Amino acid sequence: MESFEGIHLDLSKHPGKCRIAESGLGWKPSSGGDTFTLDGSDIDGAQWSRAARGYELKIFSRKSGVIQLDGFDQEEFDRVSKVFKLFYGINLESKEHALRGWNWGRGEFGKAELAFNVQNRPAFEIPYSEISNTNLAGKNEVAVEFSLPGGGSETGTNGHLGEARSKGRKAGAARDQLVEMRLYVPGTATKKEQDEEGEDKSVE
Amino acid sequence: NQNGVAQKKFKTFSSYKRDDQFPSRVKDLIVVVDVKASTIVLPIMGRPVPFHINTIKNASKSDEGDFAYLRINFLSPGQGVGRKDDQPFQDPSAHFVRSLTLRSKDADRMQDIAQQITDLRKNAVRREQEKKQLED
Repeated sequence: MESFEGIHLDLSKHPGKCRIAESGLGWKPSSGGDTFTLDGSDIDGAQWSRAARGYELKIFSRKSGVIQLDGFDQEEFDRVSKVFKLFYGINLESKEHALRGWNWGRGEFGKAELAFNVQNRPAFEIPYSEISNTNLAGKNEVAVEFSLPGGGSETGTNGHLGEARSKGRKAGAARDQLVEMRLYVPGTATKKEQDEEGEDKSVE
Repeated sequence: NQNGVAQKKFKTFSSYKRDDQFPSRVKDLIVVVDVKASTIVLPIMGRPVPFHINTIKNASKSDEGDFAYLRINFLSPGQGVGRKDDQPFQDPSAHFVRSLTLRSKDADRMQDIAQQITDLRKNAVRREQEKKQLED
């Protein structure tokens, strides 16, 4: 079993301890409280990349969507990668993100998240569970709204309730919280526009 | 001069080359203005996401209830305004981030960020104009 300190679950404000065992993965808040567990057989894939807070282990689960664990050290990649391979037969994929600072690229709909790719590298990803609503805001314009807690008090933002995993509330964990994103999606043929609308609606 | 505009080449720019170049404050999951890199770094789902000042049209702050809202508008096609030479419109299938809105309880810091973005944008435009004058 491997154990890691100072890890945040789904951007929780406060850190905890992450344990990776043969049966599965667990995260326990340092301040006490419920432990989050994920069965090893529920893990479908895993990615390693630079996050705002250290490095991030992103897990694509079969039943619980995208699980983000950040706060890892760069050097911990080897340990995480080894046990993922050994325990779950999963390759931990190291993913580099776009750093160019461009606002154009291509939005791509994956299984669990929408990725905005710049030169074939993701600039950012939005798990579908974080999206509360989408609509066509204008010609070729799609507005994406994010799930956020009402008073900013239901998640890790104020500390005392934030330790438990709150589904669909990752955006609310940051000090500066993303509320809305508008994307320009070109579409010339009428048929094509309808296809894109259909795709967008499936996100809701 | 229509041909001249159409043939104008897109000047490339880049915020960072390596991910260790991010300002250290990005770890607080806040908006960070990196003047040195002419870049705004936004927290999007736990990731620091850079946007170069050349992609930004404007930024504004407003208040609603307990929150201050920071809206950043980006340059994108079909907005009616010029500046077409700044964007790679030769790729007609590209998608664009057109705007991002963030909220924060820290109204003063949001106001400060909006002002910093405005100033950074002003300086970038001025530098560009000076360069154009030199070229003429």
